[in-house]
Amino acid sequence: MIEVNNLHKSFKKVKALDGLSFQAKDGEITGILGPNGAGKTTCLRTLYGLLKADQGNAFIDNINVENNPLAARKQLGIFPDKFGLYERLTAYEQVDYFASIHGLSGTEKKQAIEAVFCDLDMQDLAHRKTQGFSQGQRMKVTLAQALVHQPKNFVLDEPTRGLDVMSTRVLRNYLSKFKEKGHCILFSSHVMQEVAALCDRVIIVANGKMAAQGTPEELCLLAGERHLEEAFVKIIGSDEGIAA
Amino acid sequence: MIQFSALVKKEFKEAFRDKRALMVAMMMAVMAPVMIFALSKTMIKDLVETPPIYIKLSGGEFAPKLVKQFKDDNILAFSQVPVEEKALWDERNIEVIIPESFSQDMLDGKPIDIILRTDYSDQAMNAPIRRIKDAINNFARSIGMKRLLVRGIDVKLLQPVKLIEQDTALPSSNAVFISMLLGLYLLMAAFMSGLSVAIDSSAGERERNVLEILLCQPVSTLKIVLAKLSCASSIAVVGVVLTLVLTSFSVGFVDLSKIGATFNLDIFIVIALILLLLPICFFASALQLFFSFQAKSFKEAQSTVTMIIMLPAMIPFALTFIDDKPKWLDWLPVSGHSMVMEDLFKGLPVNWAAVAITGLVTLAMTVALVVTLSAKLKSEKVVLALS
Repeated sequence: MIEVNNLHKSFKKVKALDGLSFQAKDGEITGILGPNGAGKTTCLRTLYGLLKADQGNAFIDNINVENNPLAARKQLGIFPDKFGLYERLTAYEQVDYFASIHGLSGTEKKQAIEAVFCDLDMQDLAHRKTQGFSQGQRMKVTLAQALVHQPKNFVLDEPTRGLDVMSTRVLRNYLSKFKEKGHCILFSSHVMQEVAALCDRVIIVANGKMAAQGTPEELCLLAGERHLEEAFVKIIGSDEGIAA
Repeated sequence: MIQFSALVKKEFKEAFRDKRALMVAMMMAVMAPVMIFALSKTMIKDLVETPPIYIKLSGGEFAPKLVKQFKDDNILAFSQVPVEEKALWDERNIEVIIPESFSQDMLDGKPIDIILRTDYSDQAMNAPIRRIKDAINNFARSIGMKRLLVRGIDVKLLQPVKLIEQDTALPSSNAVFISMLLGLYLLMAAFMSGLSVAIDSSAGERERNVLEILLCQPVSTLKIVLAKLSCASSIAVVGVVLTLVLTSFSVGFVDLSKIGATFNLDIFIVIALILLLLPICFFASALQLFFSFQAKSFKEAQSTVTMIIMLPAMIPFALTFIDDKPKWLDWLPVSGHSMVMEDLFKGLPVNWAAVAITGLVTLAMTVALVVTLSAKLKSEKVVLALS
């Protein structure tokens, strides 16, 4: 479970987070929606322990990120905004590297890597260097490295950006399976259709704070609109960021 | 331990698969022995051998004995130059002008002006000029002595005081040009060999967007920095050891006995040099990582770190201009190392205290760089610069 309580963060005069609070529960996919500059990336970086909040706390499985960032990160699988790969390593070596960083070794590690490669149907990519991989193949490697240690919590920062329909479907299917196993998934996106189809709960963030939360249907009902996109625009009070 | 070994293994895998970085790393190791071999050969040839010199002699017919002296010293007339060397000696254009009055002035005992005209600033002219001057001076001295002898004067009167020079330098000190070059190359190897790997594993990873995901993992930044340092400095150590081994092999082909010098890189000196240079390999890589991690781009890192590799070339050069070197220079990286190496190459006993102090100061500076860098990688400034 991921919990954020009254997060405040300023960069000089810019207030990136202004008392943001939310909860992402186990066995649910929680989406964070917000226009550009709403504070999503700052919030996620605070969750990873890369940034320190001026006020408030972030918890991963009840571990305070600020006090114990390494222990908190152990409970996390991260799919970053820009998924770079070690292009001189093979896909297998890259996933093996992240598995070892999470403390896996020996047979346990081997089985975990084989399982994640099998789940993502990427055995044929395993021993190829990642240089020259397509965007979809890169997404699969990033997903595999984030999930090889079977984290309880999984955070994705705009994961479908630049992906084709097939790759997006692979990702969605995998997230659904992961949710069914009782994991907590926090998902930041700009694509309303995707959020509506995938998320159990949506948190709308604007100006560094939560503007609304609920299921996609509840948000539509709240805004009195039929589509989530219109509801989103009405809730944040602007059409900024929709084109992104 | 699993984490650290995975971090180190990954760094080595990436480094050894980057062919261009490895080529740069090994460049010094190959370049040093080749350069030292070629330069030594050329210098010995200049000092020992008397290859023919072709001069544009005018008035040679007025001084046949001087021309004979020239001929004995292998200084020949331009007309005798082989076709293939004609353009070279024409360009060098060494003119010796003997006056028409040479025989008469010689009879009258008057001073005779012989003109030697050429470009004195050209390095290649040093040996020919020296040999022509020696030939003319020897000729003049022998005539002068004969004049005194026929007048019944003891020629020893010309030299009331005789200086006897006794050189206490060991034969190895005479190979100073080799030791100076090797010292410089070794320091350059320590700084250059790990350079590409250090930049690639820091600024390169930032540019390829893999640094952020690594910093989000449950691993301390100290382990990350130490793993990258282990890889870059190991390659620097390999560069230094290869430079030493290949140089000792190539110097074996140079006959230094011709100039009364020896240059011996025995196993003891090699071990002492490796012990001396190990800390500087770590220091060089730590310094490179420190600056390239803070660069905004790969290109910026390259520019900054290129300035750092000027250090090993500039410091020993600057030291040659300081007559009374302050004591603390003995302890600092690079300056301390070049002074200890100078003694080692001269065959003087190893000053182990200097080796230890320089090594400890260098290691202390390396530790300070590593600790500061690992703290900097946790800072928000670095995180915000990631995208």
